[in-house]
Amino acid sequence: MYTRSRVAVLMGPPVLWLALLFLLPMAIMAVFTFRAGTFPPERDVFTFEHYREFLGNTPFQWLLWRSALVALATSVLSLIFAYPIAYFLAFRAGAMQMTLLTILIVPAWTSYLLRILAWKLILGANGLLSSFLLSIGLIEEGSRFLLYSPSAVVVTLVYVWIPFVTLPIFSALQRIDRSLLEAATDLGCAGWEAFLRITLPLSLPGVAAGFFFVFIPTLGEWVTPSLVGGVNGVMYGNLIQDQFVRALNWPLGSLMSLVMLVLVVIQIVLFSRIIRLSDLAGI
Amino acid sequence: MKVSCFERLLALGIIVSLFIPACGGGATSPEPTQAASPPTTLPEVKPTMASTGPVTVLEWSGYELQEFWQPFADAHPDTTVDFSFFAEDAEAFAKLQTGFQADLVHPCNSWWKLYAENGLVQPIDTSRLKNWSGIIEVLAEEGQIDGKQYFIPWDWGYESILVRTDKVKEVPDSWADLWDPQYAGHVSLWDSGESNFIMTALSLGISPWQATPEQQKQVEEKLIEIKPNLLTYWVDFTEIPQIVGSGEAWLVANAWPDAYTTLLAEGVPVEYIEPKEGRLGWVCGYGISSQAQHVDLAYEYLDALIAPQSMANLANGYSYGAANVEALPLINPDYIQALQLDQPDVMNRTVFFQALTEEQRQIFTSVWDAVKAAP
Repeated sequence: MYTRSRVAVLMGPPVLWLALLFLLPMAIMAVFTFRAGTFPPERDVFTFEHYREFLGNTPFQWLLWRSALVALATSVLSLIFAYPIAYFLAFRAGAMQMTLLTILIVPAWTSYLLRILAWKLILGANGLLSSFLLSIGLIEEGSRFLLYSPSAVVVTLVYVWIPFVTLPIFSALQRIDRSLLEAATDLGCAGWEAFLRITLPLSLPGVAAGFFFVFIPTLGEWVTPSLVGGVNGVMYGNLIQDQFVRALNWPLGSLMSLVMLVLVVIQIVLFSRIIRLSDLAGI
Repeated sequence: MKVSCFERLLALGIIVSLFIPACGGGATSPEPTQAASPPTTLPEVKPTMASTGPVTVLEWSGYELQEFWQPFADAHPDTTVDFSFFAEDAEAFAKLQTGFQADLVHPCNSWWKLYAENGLVQPIDTSRLKNWSGIIEVLAEEGQIDGKQYFIPWDWGYESILVRTDKVKEVPDSWADLWDPQYAGHVSLWDSGESNFIMTALSLGISPWQATPEQQKQVEEKLIEIKPNLLTYWVDFTEIPQIVGSGEAWLVANAWPDAYTTLLAEGVPVEYIEPKEGRLGWVCGYGISSQAQHVDLAYEYLDALIAPQSMANLANGYSYGAANVEALPLINPDYIQALQLDQPDVMNRTVFFQALTEEQRQIFTSVWDAVKAAP
């Protein structure tokens, strides 16, 4: 029975945790956007200067837009690769399901940095991919277009995210009532038609969950761009990191972070009109 | 789902209560006890009774090796030395500004004045240092602010262009050669606003520390121009041997001497040029924090650091310059020759980093951010 006091006791610790360790720091950052500087005495001066600075700074906004495109590309590609894997696991794997699922997840247990550096080895000018293309005669000299570019960032991140995207889709596909598909076949549906009209729509909450799993963190990524992105792969997260660590301009850094946060929240709100958020939570 | 009245009030209460500590956040965080404006009375050296560490050193990663402070370890075998590492000068500065407890800090000379002005370090009594007499005077003067010695120089070195001599047609002789389109895709710059601004200004014939706003714009545009030539930005000094050794990078700018000697040892044909505008020079050194808890131990640690053998170990380990001339006989003669570590006049041909003001620091970083963000 869900009495009010029971709800309060059960919800209390998580809400307190969330409030202290997430909402409070966000509020501190929001207040910081109005401070004139990072350290006293400028810190205690109230100003709109950073808002003016950011609104007038078209390169920063353009960079945010480009980072959103990279995040979008990464998410869409991850979904395209992950969906067949999830489908196979849910419908065709049978007895091997748990084993294959474990094999899928195990790379995610290794260090994040190791996986990025592994891609540096593969994509580098003297790397595996380049040597392979050289040996089959497709290119004449060590290609330097693979590494240190936005595409290297996308490729590396898609690889990192595939296990995380597969899980919600797999979960959603698992929950589909098999008798619906049986009924469809009984009524004369071809296999692919049943997929398009029953399986795909019912798996959309999982797809949406997978999309946000990838899009939100990738938007603020800065480690991968700094290792494999080169000059053109610089992303919005790199500049935020610069503001906090090098420029010691915490107000501007906070503002840039909050702009990103607000845009993501707007996206989620719009999306939740299409797909009920409680479905996303049912992973 | 319907939100009840109680839940609405609870949510409102949480949101309101968040803003109270957020606004007061400044007052509750630990602040340095001295005044925020440049102190007119300098912080006092507090005599400490504590002679049992731990001594806390705010240090660059790589300088914690015991061979650099062996005499201290011998004299105080029971005292622990705690190291807190930073990767950027700005990080160390921010740490001390927000109240981090350290005894010693190891920033580089362009920041020394900022530390002193913000009351983060205390004056050092050089008569307490037995090894002080060997310290090179021109470097020691860098550490003097308002007539008081705030920083003891320790390591110094150059920033210059590292060239892969077998990949280039002719060895470049100027900072401006980095922009040469024949090197397209094979140039790498350090991801540091200060160094890039200075070397670009030098290549344009502008004084880096007195640049007018128009000249700053010139530097910014010139740096945006170099972007098609770049392979990537290097962030960590261990990346340089990787990208030069593999042949991907032919010119690496603002490389330090350790990359040069590392690659020579690996048998890679490289040259560490002296551009006609001059190499850049840096010197880093130690200051005693104004909040130091173990000042006596800090002095002993400093003395151990500048002892001739410790300094020689530094030079032999990283091929940086040592601030103590008495270390020269103990340094590998190949390094001395390769980097002219014994020629006093090399300092005159080198453009040493100058002390930054807060305004300059912001200009250098904002120009670099604009360059990185530019399409």
